[in-house]
Amino acid sequence: MISQAAIRSMKDAVGERNCITEPEQLRVYECDGLTSFRLVPGLVVLPATTAEVAEVARIARAHGLPLVPRGSGTGLSGGALPVPGCVLVGLARMKRIAEIDLENGWMRVEPGVINLEVSRRLEPSGYYYAPDPSSQSVCSIGGNVAENSGGAHCLKYGFTVNHVLGARVVLSDSSVVDLGGPVLDTPGYDLTGALVGSEGTLGIVTEVVLRVLRKPEATRTFFATFPSTDEAGNAVSRIIAAGIVPAAIEMMDRLAIVAIKAATGVDWPDVGAALLMDVDGPLAEVEHTAQEAVRIAREAGALLVRLPKDEAERQTMWKGRKSAFAAVGRISPNYTVQDGVIPRSVIAPVLREIEELTTRAGLRVANVFHAGDGNLHPLVLYDARIEGQEKLAEEVGGEILRCCIRAGGSITGEHGVGADKAPYMGELFSDDDLATMALLRCSFDPEGRMNPGKIFPTPRLCGDKPGKYTPHPLEETGEAGRG
Amino acid sequence: MSAPFEAAESHEPCSVQEAARAMEHLGREGKRVAFVGGGTELELGRWPERIDAVVRTKGLGRIVEYQPADMVMVVEAGVTLTEVQAAARENRQRLALDPPWGKATMGGIVASGAFGPRRARYGAVRDLIIGVQMVRADGVVARGGGKVVKNVAGFDLPKLACGSLGTLGLIAGATFRLHPLPEASQTVVLPGLSAGEVVAMTSRARAAQLEPAAAVALRSVSGFDLALCFEGFGKGVEQQIAKLRQIAPTARDASDEWSRHDLVRRGGELRVKVAALPTHLPDVDRLLAPLGLRFVWYPTLGIGFAAGAAAEQAAALLADARAEIVRRGGSLVVQTAPAGFPLETWGPPPPSFPIMQRIKQNFDPDRRLNPGRFVGGL
Repeated sequence: MISQAAIRSMKDAVGERNCITEPEQLRVYECDGLTSFRLVPGLVVLPATTAEVAEVARIARAHGLPLVPRGSGTGLSGGALPVPGCVLVGLARMKRIAEIDLENGWMRVEPGVINLEVSRRLEPSGYYYAPDPSSQSVCSIGGNVAENSGGAHCLKYGFTVNHVLGARVVLSDSSVVDLGGPVLDTPGYDLTGALVGSEGTLGIVTEVVLRVLRKPEATRTFFATFPSTDEAGNAVSRIIAAGIVPAAIEMMDRLAIVAIKAATGVDWPDVGAALLMDVDGPLAEVEHTAQEAVRIAREAGALLVRLPKDEAERQTMWKGRKSAFAAVGRISPNYTVQDGVIPRSVIAPVLREIEELTTRAGLRVANVFHAGDGNLHPLVLYDARIEGQEKLAEEVGGEILRCCIRAGGSITGEHGVGADKAPYMGELFSDDDLATMALLRCSFDPEGRMNPGKIFPTPRLCGDKPGKYTPHPLEETGEAGRG
Repeated sequence: MSAPFEAAESHEPCSVQEAARAMEHLGREGKRVAFVGGGTELELGRWPERIDAVVRTKGLGRIVEYQPADMVMVVEAGVTLTEVQAAARENRQRLALDPPWGKATMGGIVASGAFGPRRARYGAVRDLIIGVQMVRADGVVARGGGKVVKNVAGFDLPKLACGSLGTLGLIAGATFRLHPLPEASQTVVLPGLSAGEVVAMTSRARAAQLEPAAAVALRSVSGFDLALCFEGFGKGVEQQIAKLRQIAPTARDASDEWSRHDLVRRGGELRVKVAALPTHLPDVDRLLAPLGLRFVWYPTLGIGFAAGAAAEQAAALLADARAEIVRRGGSLVVQTAPAGFPLETWGPPPPSFPIMQRIKQNFDPDRRLNPGRFVGGL
């Protein structure tokens, strides 16, 4: 429960209308893109400046309140899930593009700026911002920084962390600190590297310095179909073994193709698997690598290879891929999304294992994923109206993550651990690993008030010795509702 | 400044477990510890007056795992860059890191954040490391990251380790992503440019959508020689060089540019590293010119190195240069200097220094690991 005094101070800090206290309005913020975890925050504030965020942090500290930052709320791991009695800090009003310096390849933006808006702004000058999560038309830069978001094109260009040069951060003690900046190699520890992907547990980002890139001279795209994911996976391995670094290689299996067709009307054939691939760079290089990749795909058993006739058709192909998650809603009333990563060399066997364990549970799985870097997105389809299916789907999701861990991979490639996968961190990392990560956290937020309940399987107090895994506290208390 | 190791006890663990035992033992005894890999950058940083023990990583020499199809290599800290490249080359792959010291160990490269000219295309160690194994001050072994390139599970300990100069723990092992070895590689040189022309030419090359793997401007008496290295498939390299020759008709084939580059990077009684915005090159050049050092500048990154004999007044001139460069958002680090050189190594700590102090305090509460060597006496 948040005291009236604290609410009064928050209203003074951000203005009456940017401080939300009405229960029905608070409910808007009860979950992010992971809707199976819901909890109504104690209070929502919508600050407009760094100074306002710092003031919010100061008041929260004085009253001992946890802070949960939130961007667009599109995250898929419950990274912006409220905790009981928290102050949720919505950053959507901070959407200024403050500075652009193309000659030196950087720009400064506020956290509420939408990912795609950055590239749109740069478009006329021939520059762009590389990370392109599928939600890029709605997700915010601040959220991207929190989750170290990836996207289809990170195979060649890297993730958010490779494109963030610095940030202004408000810490839980309300101090405002600049990490890194437009000039490389600030002496000292790489705090920018530590911040990106820390899921809002180290501080609230109020400005970000992004690296911007000159657009490549040429891009070639092709779409290829295969009898099954085995041949498609083999094609991916052989293309990469040939020394080609594609900008992106995406794979979709039979069920995902059916869904995408139903949702977008792309005229793809019904096949066992499809690849969508981009190569980009200098023209002659791209023409050579595209030709080679097509030749290799055919050798690996491609049934059909299609090249877009123009940019519009290319965009349609990509739109099909990027809308895949939503498209699955056309063929199933409900689904869960996983984000496991496996070494590229074991894609085919792991996909078979996933298929088997899903079928064994009486469910269906659609796969649409970043094949080039082994980042799987198995969508487990279920019907919440059928008693027990939701729980079953969650169990299958958990088994899929265990499959990825056994294969030498990870439980998340781009969505973040959040509240969702925190219980699995103890299976991927040892207690000592997690305790060491906690040392970093304590250096930023000794009271543990920044986005609690995320990443770590058990809340750790600074100075604690490592403890054993216990279920997520929200699960135990029943405070995290389902559905 | 040379490392104060003469009196120190020496440990040479042959496994991560042995390293952990040694660290735990040294912790119990309250010993001040330094780490040595290939010994290529020992002069970096401000050494404390006393080091009690040295842990050498020579015995941690195994390539633990290398699955060419995944283009990922797991190594122990003492494996040298040359050994990594030799193993990768057998599969037409490489680690896209090229600091000019083949005998540098991977642990040392991570700890010092070492890089070479290919950082222009492939990024720094922080962009290529995907996992790390550290032995903490108390002997606890901790792992961060993993063996897959795309991975956001947990805090990024690998990035925290990069450039931490042995102040947070012993880097016992690391995992890297590899890249394909290019089919062709060719360097062309645009000779005799002014500092302003280097900036303008870099900008024109970018406007023309050229993608050099490395770009280096080497200062000589007649101005800068701008060397651009193109890599990739033969046809792509050919096309890019043809395009470059159109915008820069004076371009000629490379001769000794890379050895000149290496000389500056490795050499000098005095050597400094400068970071500034790429367009600030004319100012950086003007500030460094009176020192009479050899100078190389990475024009796409905004990082330069100057090396040579320490002239009289060198410290005062560098102090002025540092003040100006820092005022404009950059930094000037003294990488190596003659004994008793009066200029502080790192310059003023960044605004985030209090967080760095807390990190040091949490990882090494007794301040035993390379105490005082890093920025601001961390």
